[in-house]
Amino acid sequence: MRLQPTNPPRWAVRFLHWYCDPDLLEDLEGDLFELFDRKCQTASPAQARRHFAWWVLRSLRWSAIKKNNVLKNNTLMMSSLNLKVAARVLWRDWLNTVLNIAGITIGIICFVLMGLYVWQESTYDTFHSKKDRIYRAWLLEDYGEGQTFFNSVTPIRFESLFESDFPEFERVVQYDQRQFPVTRTQDRSISERVALLSPDFFEVFDFPFIAGSGKAPLAGKYDLVISKRYAEKYFGDLNPVGQTLQLQLDEQFVPFTITAMISDIPKNSSIQFDLAISNLLYEDLMNPRVLQAWMMVGPETYVLVNENSNIADAEEKTQDVVMRYIGEEVNRGEYNIGFQPLTDIHLNTEVPVGIAPVSNPVYVYVLGVIGLLVLLIACINYTTLAIGQSIKRAKEVGMRKILGANRKGLMAQYLSESVLIALVAMLIGTVLAIWLVPVFNRLTGADLEYTFQWQHVMVCLAVGVLVGVISGIYPAVILTNTRIMRILQASGSSPESHWVRKVMLTCQFTITVLLISSSLIMRKQIAFLQSKDLGYDYEAVVAVNMHSDTQGRMMEQMESARANAELLMTLLAKHPQVADLTTASHSFGSAGWALLGFPDKQGAFRQFRLLTVDDNYLNAFQIPIVAGRGFEAKSGLDKRQSILLNEAAVAYFGLEDPIGKKLPGENFGEHQIIGVVKDFHFQSLHEEVEPLVITQNPMPLFEGISDVNVFDSMLPKLMFKYSGSQLVQAQRILEESWEQLFPNVGLSYHFIDEAIQRQYANEARLNKLVTVATVISILIAVMGLLGLTVLVVNSREKEIGIRKVIGATRYEIFGLLAKTFSWQLVLGVTLSVPITLWLMRQWLQDFAYRVDIGVDMFISSAFIAIFVAFLVISYHAWRASRLNPVKSLRVE
Amino acid sequence: MKKETIGELEELVLLTVGVLMKDAYAVTILDELTEQAGRKIDITAIHSVLRRLEKKGFVVSEMRGATAERGGRRKRYFTLTPAGRAVLDDSMAVRTALYHRLPKLTFSTI
Repeated sequence: MRLQPTNPPRWAVRFLHWYCDPDLLEDLEGDLFELFDRKCQTASPAQARRHFAWWVLRSLRWSAIKKNNVLKNNTLMMSSLNLKVAARVLWRDWLNTVLNIAGITIGIICFVLMGLYVWQESTYDTFHSKKDRIYRAWLLEDYGEGQTFFNSVTPIRFESLFESDFPEFERVVQYDQRQFPVTRTQDRSISERVALLSPDFFEVFDFPFIAGSGKAPLAGKYDLVISKRYAEKYFGDLNPVGQTLQLQLDEQFVPFTITAMISDIPKNSSIQFDLAISNLLYEDLMNPRVLQAWMMVGPETYVLVNENSNIADAEEKTQDVVMRYIGEEVNRGEYNIGFQPLTDIHLNTEVPVGIAPVSNPVYVYVLGVIGLLVLLIACINYTTLAIGQSIKRAKEVGMRKILGANRKGLMAQYLSESVLIALVAMLIGTVLAIWLVPVFNRLTGADLEYTFQWQHVMVCLAVGVLVGVISGIYPAVILTNTRIMRILQASGSSPESHWVRKVMLTCQFTITVLLISSSLIMRKQIAFLQSKDLGYDYEAVVAVNMHSDTQGRMMEQMESARANAELLMTLLAKHPQVADLTTASHSFGSAGWALLGFPDKQGAFRQFRLLTVDDNYLNAFQIPIVAGRGFEAKSGLDKRQSILLNEAAVAYFGLEDPIGKKLPGENFGEHQIIGVVKDFHFQSLHEEVEPLVITQNPMPLFEGISDVNVFDSMLPKLMFKYSGSQLVQAQRILEESWEQLFPNVGLSYHFIDEAIQRQYANEARLNKLVTVATVISILIAVMGLLGLTVLVVNSREKEIGIRKVIGATRYEIFGLLAKTFSWQLVLGVTLSVPITLWLMRQWLQDFAYRVDIGVDMFISSAFIAIFVAFLVISYHAWRASRLNPVKSLRVE
Repeated sequence: MKKETIGELEELVLLTVGVLMKDAYAVTILDELTEQAGRKIDITAIHSVLRRLEKKGFVVSEMRGATAERGGRRKRYFTLTPAGRAVLDDSMAVRTALYHRLPKLTFSTI
C-alpha cells in the first residue's frame, strides 16, 4: 500500500484526451495508468511523471489520432483553408509574389551566408567534449617601466609545475609547432610544420583516430601521429600505421614510427597539425637549462580542470606557487600566470596570439549585424509592398467582416500569406545559399564549410516563420483594423499607412546607402594600403627561405644558412635576368621581426627590431640614406661592427648626431653607427614604423640585450629581383639552380609583393563580404522600388491618362512618379552620412596610416543610389507615359 | 490476391499474443517480450503494432477487466485469429526450410 498516491501530470492526460481516438482511448489510457502505477513503485514520482508524459507524446501517432469533426473545425483545418486562400491570392498577383519571394530569398541567402560565417567563427574549438574544462595558460611578466611581456605561449617548465603543484588539474598538456625537414625515403626532404605534443594530449582534446592505437599514441619518443591527408600525401593508399617517416633532428635523419592516423582537423579548430611527435623529444632537442627556464617561452600549455574543481581556485594560488619557486628572483605581482577558456581563444584579442591565429571579434559581429540588416531590408520590402497592396485587398476584408469574420481569423489569414511567402523564400534561399558556399568562398576568400545538421532545419523553419510574422504583422493589423464602411466606400488607403510606408522606405534607403558608402570607403582604404609607397622597391622580388645544415645553436644555424645562400647566389648571378641579389634575416610581409630589448644607461627599458643583412641590401631595395653612409662592399670593418639605424630609431634613442656613436646600452660588443636610412614600412601599415637596427653581424648586439622576441625565423632569406618578362622563367631558373646545389632539400620561396598584399587579407576579406552584402541589399531595394512603382502606376492610371489628355509630356509624367519616392531617397542618403562616418572612423582606427573619408565617397554613393532608383522607376514611367489614355480612361 | 506480409516486431508481438492465450493485452505483452526477447521496447510501439495487426486481421480484440490501478479503465484483450496463426506458420516454415539448407560447418566462409 502506498501512502501517497501520485497522479500522472494533468496536462498530459488532457492532451491525450484531446488527440486520441475515443475508440482507442480507454484501453490506451488504462495501459499508461497501469505502467505509471508500476513505475511509481520503482522510481521517484518525478521520474514516473516524466515517463508518463513521454509515453503520451510517443503515443501521438497517426493511427491514434481522432479523425472526427472536432479536429476539422479546429485551427489546424482553418489554417489549411487560409493557406489555400493565400495561395490563390498570391497566384493572382504573381508579379508581386515573385518580387516578394525574390526579395526575401535574396535577403535570406545573405543572411544564411553571413550566419554561417559568424557561426563558424563563434563555434571555434567547441567540438571537444571536455571543452568546458579546458583552459590555456598565459603568462604576464611586468617588471615596471614598460618592461612587460605578455604571452599565451609559456615556459616548457609549466607542464611539470602544474602537474606537481596544482591538484585542481586532471591533466596538463603542451602543444608546440616546429619546422622539421621530413622525408619518407631520405632522397628528398620537405620542410614541414610538425606539432610537438605531450603524450597524453589526446586524452584532453578530441581528435578522432581513424586507424592505430587510440591509447597513448605518443607514448614513445619516436612515435608519430599523422593526419589523413598527409597519410595520403606520403603513403597513398597504404595503411600508414606502422610505417616510418624520417625527421631531421640535429644533423641526421631519425626514423619515426607512425602509431595512429587522425581524421583531418576541422577548420574551426585553433590547434592545427598534420604531423605530430611526442614532446618527450624536448630532452634531446633542448638545452636542459631551457627545460627548466622560467623566462623562456615556447609551447602553449593547456590544462584540464578536475570535474569538481574550479579554475578560479587554481588562479588564486598561482602567486604563492610562483613565489615558492622563484621568490628570490621576482617580486610578488611581477610574474603572473592566468588561464583563458579554450573556447575563448579564437575571438579574444586581449590575450596575445599564441600559435593559432585569432579573428577580430568586431568583424564577426559586424558581419552578423549586416546579415540581420539585409534580412530586415527584405522584411521592410515585403511590408511596404503589402501595405501598397492593401488598397486592392480592402474590399475583400470588408466583405469578410460583413460575413462575420472576426479579427483574429483575418489576422491569421494575412499572416499565413506572409508566412507562406517567407517559408518558400526560406527554402529557396537556404538551398541556394548552401549551393553558393563555394562561390562565396572564392569571392571573399572566406573558408566556409557546410555540414548538414538536423537542427538547421528547425532553425530555418523558425527563422522563416519569424520573418513571415515580422514582415506580415503590420499590414495584417492595418488591414483588419480599419472600419468596414470606410473600406467599402473609400477607394484609397488611409493616410496613416502612407506615413508608415514612407518611414519604412526611408529606413531601407538609409541602410542601403550606408552599406554602399561603407564598402566604397573600405575599398579606398585597402587600395591605399596596397598602393602606398613603402619606401623600398619590391616589384618582382623573389624571397627564398634558406635552410641550415645543422639544428644546433642559433648562431651556427644562421652561419650555415648564410653559407648556403652564398652558394646559391653565385649560381643565380650567372643569369642576366637576375639582379640585386641579397640576403636578410627577415623578408618584407612577414610579421614578427626579431625584437630585442635592453636597459639603457638611465635604466629605462628599450626595444628595437633587428635586421641582419649583407652589404648589398640597401642597394637591392633602393632604400635611401639620409645621413652618413651605407655598408661598403667587401669592407671587413663594416661586416664586423658597423650598424645602420632608421629615422625612427634615431628619434627613439634620442641621438642628436648619430654618426660614429653607439647604442645607449652598457653591455653591447664593439659596434658603431655609420649611417641613418630613411624610414621604410617594413611592417604592415597597421603599425607606425618602429625603431630598426640593420647590421651584418648581430653578435655584438646580442651581447648587450636582456630580452629577445622572435616570431619569424631568423635564418637568412635570399632575395633577388627578376627583370625578365615572364615570372614562370624566374621559377625555372631558381628550381634548376636549387636542384644543382641542394637536391635533397625541398625548395620554398615566395614573391614579396604577394606577401605584402597578404598582410591586408583580413581587411580585404571584410571588404569583399561587405560588398557582397551591399550588392544584395541594392538588389532587394531595387525589387522593393520596382514593386512600389508598379503599384503607384496602377493606382494612378487614370490620373496619368487625364494629364496626358491635357497635354503632359513624357518627362512631366516621369517627374510625377519620381517625386513619389525622391524625398525618402534624399532623406535616406542624408541620414546615412553621420552613421557611416561614425562606423568608418571606428574601423579606420585600426590603421596607423589611413585615408581621409572625404565627401567624394558620399557623393558617389548617393549617385549610385539615386541612379539605380531612377533606372528602376524610369522603366515603368516610360510604360505609363506611352499608354494610350483612351484605354485607361474608358473602362469604368 | 495480395498476401499480407509481416515485420519482425509484428511477428514477435503476434507470437506473444498467441502464447499468452487469454491474457494478452498491451502491458502483459510488453512484459513477456521484455522477459523473453530481452529487448527494450516502448509501450507505444506495442500499441501501434497491435493496431496494425488488428487492421490486417491477424488478431481480434475485446474490452474487459477494469482494475483499480488502471483508474477503472478496461483492458483491450487480443486473441490470435486463424489468419494470424496461418501467417505465423508460413513464416516459420520459410525459416525452417532455409535453416536446414545451411551447411553444417561453415568452412567455406573462413
